[in-house]
Amino acid sequence: MSSSEELNLSVPGSQTSPSIRADWKAGVVVMSGESYPENSFELYDQLIQWIASYLSTANQSLTLELHLNYLNTSSIRFMIDIFDLLQTSFEEGKEVLVQWMFDDRNPRSAELGSEFKEDYTFPFLILSINA
Amino acid sequence: MTITTNSLMFLREFFSDYRILICFNGPISTTLIGEIGSALKEHIESHHAPELEVMDVFSVYIEMSQNIRKYTTSHGFSDAESSATVVIAAAEAGHYAVCAGNLVEMEDGKALLKRIHELADCDKAQLKVLYKQQLRQPHSQIPGQGAGLGLIEIARRSSQPMEASLDPLEPGRAFFSLRAII
Repeated sequence: MSSSEELNLSVPGSQTSPSIRADWKAGVVVMSGESYPENSFELYDQLIQWIASYLSTANQSLTLELHLNYLNTSSIRFMIDIFDLLQTSFEEGKEVLVQWMFDDRNPRSAELGSEFKEDYTFPFLILSINA
Repeated sequence: MTITTNSLMFLREFFSDYRILICFNGPISTTLIGEIGSALKEHIESHHAPELEVMDVFSVYIEMSQNIRKYTTSHGFSDAESSATVVIAAAEAGHYAVCAGNLVEMEDGKALLKRIHELADCDKAQLKVLYKQQLRQPHSQIPGQGAGLGLIEIARRSSQPMEASLDPLEPGRAFFSLRAII
């Protein structure tokens, strides 16, 4: 049995990819930055694996806190995979929450959050960081 | 040919006449895409029209250049064959033109033109429907690993229908050019 720290995921951010911090014990995933890496599969696959494994084994809620100013279309495609996992777990009775944080100076980020939210029924909050 | 001081002057006039802000011609790398993108964002943040969103121009630029990267990589093109021409220029009333072109197989170019004309006939609501449909396609069925989605994104961010052309080069190949006004 691994300790909870070994189950955490931490990926540093760069100009083209967001930082990712997934805390198993807290049940929180935080992503922050812009996402347009050339190989989005490489970045997102590890996160999707982590979330899938967390949702199927951890007996507690999951919160995604997303501070994403910009995503290219291939990153958006992978976020759909993540939100689909959350939706399935939500329908099975699991507590999941997405907090989509946007800066008022970048209304496109708020619109992107709203377009994601339209397709799901789990709690999906779109919050201004300037409030 | 070797460049002369006269040709530099000619180039300068050409850039000025077409109000070109950023231009790149050559094999495009991931690092270069990022660096040009940062310069672009910085420039537009201080110059844009009030109703224009900086991230729209940035997004169109990223989708165009990454589409070229994906196309040339998936076709195993050499450095010379992978050469891309990317131009960002000022357009009317504080808007921007983003143009990109690259060598393509003639058949791929024809398919692209057809797709772009289809998208040009769509209004914003129809584009959103297409976008959502494409997002729901399984990964393996996305042609060129996402080119389909990229073109829809460009169309959604554009303030005018996209323009595209195909100029035949060597047999079976052509130079494909795309222009979006944001």
